Amino acid sequence: MTDPYVSLAQLAWPLALVLSWMAGEILFRWTGLPRISIYGLAGFAFGNLAKGFAAPTDDNAFLLLANLGFGLILFELGYRINLRWLRANPWIVATSLAESSLTFVAVVLVAQAFRMPALAASLLAALAMASSPAGLVRVFNEQQAGGQVTERALHLSALNCVLAVFAYNAIVGIGVFQTSGNLGHAAAASLLVLGASALLGSVAGMLVPRWLRGMGRAGSSGGDATMTFALAVLLLVAVTHVLHLSPVLAALSFGLVARHRRSALGVAQRNFGALGDLLSVMLFVYAASTLDWQHVWAGLGLGTLLVIVRLTVKVGVCAAFARVSGISVRKGALSGLALAPMGVFAVLLIEQTRRLGVDLFHSLAPLAAIALLLQLAGPLISQRAVIAANETPYDKEA
Amino acid sequence: MPFETDSAAGAAAAGTGAAPALEPFRASQSLTLGVELELQLVSLSDFDLVPASPDMLDLLARAPFPGNVTPEITQSMIEINSSVHTGHGELLAQLREIRDTLVRAGDRLNVGVCGGGTHPFQQWSQRRIYAKPRFREVSQLYGYLAKQFTVFGQHVHIGCRSGDEALYLLHALNRYVPHFIALSASSPFSQGSDTSFQSARLNSVFAFPLSGRAPFLLRWDAFAEDYFNRMAGTGIVRSMKDFYWDLRPKPEYGTIELRVCDTPLSVERAAALACYLQALCRYLLEGNEPAPREDDYLVYNYNRFQACRFGLDGTLVHPQRHEQLPLREDILTTLRRLEPHAAALGSGAALDLLYRESHTGSDATFLRQAFEADGSREAIVDAALRRFRAGE
Repeated sequence: MTDPYVSLAQLAWPLALVLSWMAGEILFRWTGLPRISIYGLAGFAFGNLAKGFAAPTDDNAFLLLANLGFGLILFELGYRINLRWLRANPWIVATSLAESSLTFVAVVLVAQAFRMPALAASLLAALAMASSPAGLVRVFNEQQAGGQVTERALHLSALNCVLAVFAYNAIVGIGVFQTSGNLGHAAAASLLVLGASALLGSVAGMLVPRWLRGMGRAGSSGGDATMTFALAVLLLVAVTHVLHLSPVLAALSFGLVARHRRSALGVAQRNFGALGDLLSVMLFVYAASTLDWQHVWAGLGLGTLLVIVRLTVKVGVCAAFARVSGISVRKGALSGLALAPMGVFAVLLIEQTRRLGVDLFHSLAPLAAIALLLQLAGPLISQRAVIAANETPYDKEA
Repeated sequence: MPFETDSAAGAAAAGTGAAPALEPFRASQSLTLGVELELQLVSLSDFDLVPASPDMLDLLARAPFPGNVTPEITQSMIEINSSVHTGHGELLAQLREIRDTLVRAGDRLNVGVCGGGTHPFQQWSQRRIYAKPRFREVSQLYGYLAKQFTVFGQHVHIGCRSGDEALYLLHALNRYVPHFIALSASSPFSQGSDTSFQSARLNSVFAFPLSGRAPFLLRWDAFAEDYFNRMAGTGIVRSMKDFYWDLRPKPEYGTIELRVCDTPLSVERAAALACYLQALCRYLLEGNEPAPREDDYLVYNYNRFQACRFGLDGTLVHPQRHEQLPLREDILTTLRRLEPHAAALGSGAALDLLYRESHTGSDATFLRQAFEADGSREAIVDAALRRFRAGE
């Protein structure tokens, strides 16, 4: 006879996913709220309710699945980045460097003013630099957004994620060095991880287009290329997961390299179709379910302040660089606003670190609050930004 | 794309409920010319069309524009027009200046600008109507046709001294319309597939109720009273802009307007086509051919189809002699016949370019070659972008 509690625990996750998805569909239809915000809310509620009898966060498989979903989104982001634009309009890079570094400085200063230790403040600041590509890509696809705010937010997000991953790993490396005093260990924890991850992604970015060309599928329907890319991303994420590398960098560089060698490829389907949709429900529900209500509560005050500081810096810098980079100040400010999402990126990076034996949620209570706030409100802010910029179809707004 | 903003006369008449009258034909200097080009706005990230016209127009508004730039019905299109010119050199110089300005602006916004009558793989359902009352009205009337009409054409205006001269030219040109279709053909792909047409764009135009050819009337008074006023009385049309004919008179400019050309891949070809029309009009105005007859139009749609389907390899039926003519041969013969007129107008170089193209193949051939060489639909757009930027 099976223990009913065990059965219940086995059903808990599938049920949570189905209910989250249904809630997302209903509320999207009724209120227009981004689906991923609802998934986040459901995931947070479920994660806290289920504590004690179903402990999904301990399950490595869920982290892997979430990383797969995130990997697909990062690949798609990389695939939509045009590096030549950054050369043609260097102000985009300047905007990114300024908004990322100023976000870092501002968050460190505020966190330290609240007596947070330097290392913890720096880690928090590194995470705050990034705008979660998961939030942006899903919201923009959902809204069928297109225009300068959309384009710039995507490019700025890709850049600030890379900068954030570098900063984060460098700081983790310093932390490891301070604790262990072992320089080799510290370097392995940071730079080697980054280099190896980017290299793996780049190799995939070169091999997969070659495979597609060899199979003569490039000219046929985009579906074939989509399938190939999806499988390659799955493999890449699994390899980085096993090797304890950064799936973020690997998937992003895979997309980037594939896009720039794409002259022989078809368009990958937006969102990777139903597969992408399924994995993104898992991703957003899972990410929010890792957040602990007590941590959120403890860090709510400082967390809210940091959210405001972070967004103010991003909006301010993007607005300041807007005219010189070719758009109006209003559109610049809106592209800064669109950079709001952060939750999933931070959560996955932290989970990654936890696998290295460092649990940051305990030392970074405000982070849980920030992650939750931005996982719920971030996509909504991005959505409102592209609507305000008239970058969504008008018949959708009517 | 033919959806222009409404005329003041039409709007005023609509306001009072009275049927609008056709405005008088404003005489202009004979054989002056002007060019309009509808251009594609393409994302340089994924080579699909991108709704970028508001951003482009915003950026372009910061500095004086050489010529004129306006939005079109969907946000992935932009229309430019030249000033009025008398010859090839000045027209080409201005079109090049316009091109360079557009390319520079596009580079800052990650937007590629290119010609071509269709985008090879854009999906019409994803297009977005530009926020302007006229465009929304048109979209409501025509439904999906408005979005399916995301196609890109070149319009050429030729100045006429009177309405009668305009109507004479308009009908005398009927036999040459296939030349322009074949020479400008640059829309072999549509919605992701090879259509097997050289110009698939014109098939989209035929879906509209007021498309095709103008009624056979050679006097402006008769055209205004017997045709336009009666049509206006039915309530179907308010101004000439409601007619999507292949050739139509444009009384407010004092021109006739040829509308069958796909937008070529380069401004050099656009200028050459305009000058070909100009030289042809000079030749026709000198009375070198028998006067047009209504029966000429018996073969019109068939010839038009041949040019769209097979381009330079098509076959024409001469409207009066009813003999079969290979289209390419007919173009080459006409080019030779126009040499003295081109010399008088200073457009020899323009005709030379068309002469070469008649041998090497149209832009449609070039786009198919790009696809075959690389195997991807993005490569077609990439090739079009490069050709627009580099010219020729």
